[in-house]
Parts: sequence; C-alpha cells; structure tokens
Amino acid sequence: MNDTAVGFALLGIGMLFVLGLVFVVSSRAGRAPRGPVTPPAGVHLPPPSLLPPLMPVAGILLFAGLAFRPEDQFANFFILVPGLLLFVAGIVGWVRAANREWTDTERGSHHDAPGH
Amino acid sequence: MSVDAPTSQTADMGPRLEAARPQDNRGLSIPLVGMLLFIASEMMFFGGLFAAYFNARASTPGEWGPPPGAEELSPVPLAAILTVILIASSFTMQFGVWAIRRGDQGKLRMWVGVTLLLGILFLSGQLYDYSQLGFGIGDGIFGTTFYTLTGFHGAHVFGGAVGMTILFARASSGQFSARNHVAVEAISMYWHFVDVVWVALFSIIYFLK
Repeated sequence: MNDTAVGFALLGIGMLFVLGLVFVVSSRAGRAPRGPVTPPAGVHLPPPSLLPPLMPVAGILLFAGLAFRPEDQFANFFILVPGLLLFVAGIVGWVRAANREWTDTERGSHHDAPGH
Repeated sequence: MSVDAPTSQTADMGPRLEAARPQDNRGLSIPLVGMLLFIASEMMFFGGLFAAYFNARASTPGEWGPPPGAEELSPVPLAAILTVILIASSFTMQFGVWAIRRGDQGKLRMWVGVTLLLGILFLSGQLYDYSQLGFGIGDGIFGTTFYTLTGFHGAHVFGGAVGMTILFARASSGQFSARNHVAVEAISMYWHFVDVVWVALFSIIYFLK
C-alpha cells in the first residue's frame, strides 16, 4: 500500500470515528416524551456561539494542510492535524449544544421568554 | 380570516406538510424553510464549481483528461457502482420518510440505518477510487478540478452521513412520530439534493467527453 492509499485510508478511519462520536453524543440526548412535542412560545433561536466560525477555520486548515505540503508527503501534518482536531471539536460541540437546546426546549425553560 | 383557521388549501396538503407544519398551523416549519434556503445556497455553490470546471476545460488547449502517465477515467465499474449505491440510498431514505409519516418508528430506524450504511459505502468507494487513480489534486488543471468537484461532493455526502447518524440515534430513542418528524424530512431533502448533484457530476465528468 503506497502513501496515498494510506492517507485516504486514514481519512476514512477519521470519518468513521467522527460518525461514531456523533452517534454516541446524539444517543445520550435521551428518550423524548411519547406525546406530541409542543414548540416553545415565541421565536426560538440558539444562543450565541463560536462554533459556526470555528468550523470554516478548521476547514481552511484542513485544505491548507493538503495544499501546502512538502513534495514527499501526503499533507502538511503541522497544519492538517490542528485543523482535524478543531473540526472534530466543532462537530462534537455543536451536537452537544443542539442536544442541550433540545433538552431545554423539552423542559420548557424558554417558554416564558418570547423572542429568545 | 384568522391565521389559525384551516383552509381547503392547507387541508389538501397531505401528511408531508401536515408533519412539517408547526402545531399552530401557520405554514411551513422554520427548520424546513431553513433547509430549503440552505439547499438553495448549496445549488449556487455547486453551480460555481461546475462553472469553474467548464471554464477550465474550455480554456485548456489539447486533450482534456488525466495527466500523461495516468489511466483514462472510466465510468465502469467503480464509478457506476458508486452511482447506483447513492441513487439506491435516496430510495431507502424516502422509504424511511414514508414509514415515519405512517408512524412506523421501527421501519424508520431500519431505512435510515440502511441509508447510512450506503452513504458510508459510497464514501469508502470514493476514497478507494482516489487511491487508485494515479494522479493527484496538484497534477494539472484536470486533477485540480476533478478533486475539487468530487471532493466537495464527498464532503457533502459526509455531512449527510453525520445528519443521518443523528437521525439514526434519535430514531433509536423514539424521538420521531407521525406528527413530529421535521428533522427526517429536512435531512431527506438534503440527501436527495446531494444525490442529484452526484448524478450531474458523474454525467459531466465521465460522459461529457
């Protein structure tokens, strides 16, 4: 197996790892009530978050790591690895934030805050 | 007329929009509108990539294709198999949507699981194809446009697989019902869109010589 194949195999393993992580985090959200879920009153918006700008930064690092590489290597790992870590942290953080919002909505903590 | 009053038009919308509407019956739900807007922006994004591909091709003199030394791109067998897999996954996703519209949580879980597996199979096949092509993203204008187009599409399939994983986890927790499954509808829209983009990509790259 050449270096290119190893690189793509690692990418595939990384993807599976992220999917597994997403599954574990999503599964911990718990069981929803049996009845229909009543949406909270007013307009429900997620709280301010740094995660949306974090993801494109991670994307830039990932692609920069692939583009600006030494001749003899698959990627510039000094750029690629931080990008990958940021990407994973961003996804995990985002899913956790979504789960928190889901739980808060179920508990009705925003019902008294129209426009939140 | 009160905004809450049902009309003959809303009564005829069928179970799909019935589930997609918030319970106060004031139109399409915000998540679905958000997904439609997101897909619209994605269409423009891929439109730009296709334009770049055609522009590069039109302005490149001589033969258009992989760099010298690499094999010609062939739609068979791997690319064709991947296309069949992705198209099949659109059907399985839709079976899942129809199942939850009937309130069948077990079938939803099964079809979403199958769709997720097909998505992972597609991504695995694409990565294997990349490793066998014999040219890279830096090997000429064809290599750059080929990897950019197919790579961004692959990233979108991965995004869909993430969404599908969340759906699968939530479906396993019994979080969807016939009246409450807007996330299933939204992710299925995205998945069909990604499928359509691949069909266009496959046709242009492999058949439009």
